[in-house]
Amino acid sequence: MKLLFAAELTRFARSTYTLWKYVEVGRALGHQVAIFGERSADTPSMPHTLEVEKFDFVIFVIHVPSDFPDLPYLARLLDQMPKERRVIIDCLGRYNETIRVEHDFNHLEKLDGHQGWEWIEGFQAVSDRILQPTLRPLRSDVKPFLFHGFDPAAVTRPYANAAEAAQAWIGDGNGTGKVYGMAYVGNNWQRWTQVRKLLEQIEPLGSSLGRIALVGFDWARRPEWASQMGLDAVDVDPVLFGRLGVETRDAIPFHEVNEFMGKARFNPVFHRPLFHELGLVTNRTFETFCSDTIPLLMLPEETVREIYGESALPLMPGEQLRNRLSDMMRHPEVYWEAVLRTRSYLAEHHSYQRRFEELIKILND
Amino acid sequence: MHRRAANILFFLDKRDNAGSIQAVANYVSAGEEMGIRVAVYGEPDEKFPRIRFSRDVESFDYVVFILESRLQWLSGLRLPRILSSVPRRCRAVLDADGAFNPRVSFDGYDRNHIDERDRSRWLAYFRELADKVMQPTLMSIEPNVLPLPFYGYDPKAQVVPEASPAKQFDIAYVGHNWWRGREVSNSLLPAFEQIYASVGPIVFIGLWWDTAPPWASQLGLEAAFYLDRERFHRLGIQIRPPVPFTQVIPTMSQAHVNLMTQRPVLRHFRLLTSKYFELFCADTIPLVLLDPELAEEVYGPAGRELTLDGTIEKKLLDALDRPAKYREHVADVRHHLVEHHSYRKRLCQLVVTLES
Repeated sequence: MKLLFAAELTRFARSTYTLWKYVEVGRALGHQVAIFGERSADTPSMPHTLEVEKFDFVIFVIHVPSDFPDLPYLARLLDQMPKERRVIIDCLGRYNETIRVEHDFNHLEKLDGHQGWEWIEGFQAVSDRILQPTLRPLRSDVKPFLFHGFDPAAVTRPYANAAEAAQAWIGDGNGTGKVYGMAYVGNNWQRWTQVRKLLEQIEPLGSSLGRIALVGFDWARRPEWASQMGLDAVDVDPVLFGRLGVETRDAIPFHEVNEFMGKARFNPVFHRPLFHELGLVTNRTFETFCSDTIPLLMLPEETVREIYGESALPLMPGEQLRNRLSDMMRHPEVYWEAVLRTRSYLAEHHSYQRRFEELIKILND
Repeated sequence: MHRRAANILFFLDKRDNAGSIQAVANYVSAGEEMGIRVAVYGEPDEKFPRIRFSRDVESFDYVVFILESRLQWLSGLRLPRILSSVPRRCRAVLDADGAFNPRVSFDGYDRNHIDERDRSRWLAYFRELADKVMQPTLMSIEPNVLPLPFYGYDPKAQVVPEASPAKQFDIAYVGHNWWRGREVSNSLLPAFEQIYASVGPIVFIGLWWDTAPPWASQLGLEAAFYLDRERFHRLGIQIRPPVPFTQVIPTMSQAHVNLMTQRPVLRHFRLLTSKYFELFCADTIPLVLLDPELAEEVYGPAGRELTLDGTIEKKLLDALDRPAKYREHVADVRHHLVEHHSYRKRLCQLVVTLES
């Protein structure tokens, strides 16, 4: 199968890592995978092409309006690939009625200039086949396809057992083997409510946890554009940050995320409120388990069971975050056992190889 | 032979205080009178009270894209709906700012494209959107462009003196500081300096007269918002925020005299704008910084008398001192506009151009 993906690739956000994996896995499975467009300086290792007619399907991976190419490239896609061979992967649940959850939303005209109906009609004009990375799409004309996946080969330190993992995690014996106690790598967009709650919960742990880092766009200060638009979901609290000694760092490129997360003992996995509502998964849902860290699944139990399996439940602290963290630091082997079992589960159920095969099956249907 | 009505859907960057929205509102009205359905692609929007909106693309005979200063609104999400359901022969582009023309630049100031790459990007849009490219002009300087004045005069919008708001200003300028600052600084401010002791309040109503937007430097557009602000403030010129298109004519009517300048690139291409005609709907004396020949072409012979050609300060004082004389010129221009530039006439021209 020859698959051409259309998306705006960026080193710091969206599904670039996932597409990178599709290129790799597709090649390994004997398929041809490329990204539509001119070669990108941001992603020089990804194959790019404008030769639409050489491919069997075009798959649009859509987060924001600019993921659709501009003219004249858009016209080339529409003219040279019949509609029945175009597919959209709707990563943010745009193809739904307008939804508001807390400060989150799937459509906001003042942000990107498009009203809700334009997302529906725009998608319908491009393709009859729309996929969403959720197990339960709201609309009957959407197919579930998780899209993102887990790459066992990307696990930075594949320990033989939990004891070995715990020992490495402890380091020199006093918990200072890692630079950070906790890191969150992700941009400050629709996560603030959860991040704030987490920080407030762990504050009593003091220095026993270690340094804390927030890595991504707009953690250092609330951006001016958010104030101008009256968006509350990109807040920060410098006073809280100061009290906890939180370090804020600029965004890092997608291929450095895994390694950076491994510098922290714990990495929380958050989903935006909208994603909770729609059951959407992201690249980070899986990628965190590749890192040399204990993921903290700040997700609903149902999501944890469905995506990660039962073994991951100890990694879901719920409202008992502080106690759970203390316990994790006292008994890391128990939790590393959960991490390793979950990695196995993800390798079995959510590998990119499996995901790719699911996609081929959907396309052939 | 009975010809079926050619229903027209406009596709434009919706801005309630800039661009061609006033013209589109007038096309909607003229269409209602003439049995032609004219609408704007989209959903009804309370910010655009005189505009009919429609998403039913297939029910229109033609789609007209109005391209002004930016392309971002023509997103890849928005375009497939139109491109997939409206045949190319039924699509046309109105190139309001002369982006189709070869690149020109004026002393490193105004330009239609920053470089050839920018022009290529625009040309790609023209090429994909339609075969027909129209420009709002009486005579196109490009062979592949169809001249269509597009903007027009709506006599029903004329504010009669009895209904006019009280005059708050002697001189007003209604419009944004977008490539106008140099002419204002070099021509109008020196004239104001000569007469400011003799005239009442002067006001500029629009964006970016007080300061350039914060994004100007990021985009390398500082020159577009240039203004001799020190001199501007020294003269005590008032600044007011922009008004929506529905309030432009009443706002102009608050001043005895209204001024019009045109950005250099539009003047060079002899492109018309809404402002050419809105001015004459207001209860005011319009004075325009245009070449007298062009003023006569558009406004008729009386148009020459309303140009600021020569000594601007003398003309301003004269208009304020002897308004009756200028009102006669304005009345003559209005007669000319009714005869030659009504929106009914414009709509007929548009239909003919689309069907050609």
